[in-house]
Amino acid sequence: MQAQEVVVTAIGSPIPHTLYPFLAVLLLIVGLVLTAAFFIYEATTSKFSRSLSREFATGGVASLFLGFGTLFLLLWTGVYV
Amino acid sequence: MNENTKFQFAFLLFLAASWYLISPAAANLVLNRVDRRVDLTSQIVRIASSLKVENAGTDDVSEILFSLSTEQAEKVAFLQAVLVEGKSKSKSKSSAVILTVTSGSSDGRVMLFSVALPKPLKGGDSLSLETYVVLTHVLKPFPEEIGQSDAQLVLFHESAYFLSPYPVKVQSTTFKLPSSRVESYSKVGVTKLVDSEVRYGPYENVEALATAPITLHFENNQPFAVVEELVREIEISHWGNIYVTENYKLSHGGARHKGSFSRFDYQSRPAQSGAASFRHLLARLPPHAHSVYYRDEIGNISTSHLRSDFKKTELELEPRYPLFGGWKVTFTLGYSVPLEDFMYKSSDGRRFLNITFGSSFGHVVVDNLIVKVVLPEGSTQPTISVPFAVEQDKEIKHTYLDTVGRPVVVLTKKNAVPEHHNIFFQVYYRFNSIAMLAEPLLLVTGFFAFFVLCIAYVHFDFPISKSSASFQAQVQREELVDLVQRLQKVMGIRGEAADRLEASLRDVARSGDTAQCKVARKTADATWKETSKDLKALSESFHLSARSSFVLPKVEVLLQKEKEMVEKLQQKQVATVEAYERKLSSKDIDARIAPLQSKYSTLKQEVRDLIYALDD
Repeated sequence: MQAQEVVVTAIGSPIPHTLYPFLAVLLLIVGLVLTAAFFIYEATTSKFSRSLSREFATGGVASLFLGFGTLFLLLWTGVYV
Repeated sequence: MNENTKFQFAFLLFLAASWYLISPAAANLVLNRVDRRVDLTSQIVRIASSLKVENAGTDDVSEILFSLSTEQAEKVAFLQAVLVEGKSKSKSKSSAVILTVTSGSSDGRVMLFSVALPKPLKGGDSLSLETYVVLTHVLKPFPEEIGQSDAQLVLFHESAYFLSPYPVKVQSTTFKLPSSRVESYSKVGVTKLVDSEVRYGPYENVEALATAPITLHFENNQPFAVVEELVREIEISHWGNIYVTENYKLSHGGARHKGSFSRFDYQSRPAQSGAASFRHLLARLPPHAHSVYYRDEIGNISTSHLRSDFKKTELELEPRYPLFGGWKVTFTLGYSVPLEDFMYKSSDGRRFLNITFGSSFGHVVVDNLIVKVVLPEGSTQPTISVPFAVEQDKEIKHTYLDTVGRPVVVLTKKNAVPEHHNIFFQVYYRFNSIAMLAEPLLLVTGFFAFFVLCIAYVHFDFPISKSSASFQAQVQREELVDLVQRLQKVMGIRGEAADRLEASLRDVARSGDTAQCKVARKTADATWKETSKDLKALSESFHLSARSSFVLPKVEVLLQKEKEMVEKLQQKQVATVEAYERKLSSKDIDARIAPLQSKYSTLKQEVRDLIYALDD
């Protein structure tokens, strides 16, 4: 009987929910700083000397941070997606 | 006995006989003793019967039948039979549950249910069986309409005899009433009213399927809280939460309210006024329930009280108005519970939700209970394990950050009573944790799309005509800005080289070591040489550029001054190195270098100003 008993384990969140506020603030700050860098670059460099790869790299990394930051912001505020 | 009942009786005998033919063993069973306790203290009728069954025949019996009248069978909410083994009070109960309805009642009077025994009952043996039947909507208010100050009286129809397909040797029935106020009760043989109990029997040797209709008319002021429809939505998020939302359509199922309603009487004389009405309900929520809300279409309903300890959470809520007979109210109750309290992973890799089925309220009847389990996006193969019969359906729900939608398991149960509410049920499904990343990646894609739009906006031109003067002017201006920026960049590089050389000159002044200074001079010269080509090219571009006329003088002055500055610095370096190599006194060195230094400083300042001036 013992061997047949089904072993069950409780499942929780992969990241402890106490970390959500910290992660949200950290990721969003980094994301917003990168966004600022992106727009400063866009505004200050002339059309002919802009590097497309640099634009995409900054935008991509910024959106990665902003995306995850927004997710943790949502989770922090109680909107569990 | 009138003609009709005689006929029915004969028919029932025939029915019993036909059952004898179908299952020969059945007729050999005898009920030695039946004790029936009928609980009428609430709106729900609960009939608990303990049966002593004896096999009077010789053949083994593997199933036992018991019966209900069709009127009652339609109102059955819950049905259970428990085999009691051993005679001691410490009953080791093995639930021998439940029962398929056999179509034994062709005239629509009797419905037979069968209980399969775990092991056959041998001839001459006996066993104890307990049946438990829960009926709803069988207490009929009479009078049907009452005023605010009246008590609610209800009628209950039953048989004094236990309706059974087997003959019963000794039986008795007790009806437990909510109060001692009894308007009337039928008398059949030995009938007693003791306090708030009506006792029938004991009766001896009653035929199979015999009935003795009785009617009880008594006061019942218990809240007849009937939920016409309850939609219970359980939404799982693997980020650590389960949302439970319960949408209630609550009504008072008792005697309808007649006449006007006086709030003054209701408030000032609560004992005499609105005895059958109810004004609050108690919901038992799971422990750790949080973010509880109670609202309706208008908004939040503030009349609620939440108490919680480590075992449970209790919510006492008051609808917007007290409920009298026939009145209705709709509201929504919602709360969140932590995922780890109800979500488990079984050893075969599947995940399952283990949560209670029914309403949070203890004493309500739910006519139509719909439980929707919203599984996370990306989960597959949902299977349900519910210990009673439910209708199953599937849906797709779209909520926040969904792409393909979440699979929803819809379970519908008619006529649910508190006996169902606390039963746990399981929803098994397969889910890959990677799918949790779908939502954040959707957000990332959204942000990235925004950045791409910005990049596209600054890279494309949106003129109506490419040859228009203003567009041409803009292009030229941008070209000029680009040239200026490039010039500034080159100047920056040259300036840095100069700064480094100057720093090494200061080092010489401190240490007297000229070797390092010479190396610095070489690197600086190399940089200047390299960049001078760029400067030449840029200067030519400035000359070619159409709109450079107003910056051209500035650029030329800058180039010239910068050249002078570099020359002065070179002279200074030569002078310094020479002076130190000849080991002149510090006074002489200062005298030699000072004029060069001052000229260099002014030139450097001028160059810096000119570079900034170009920005305009």
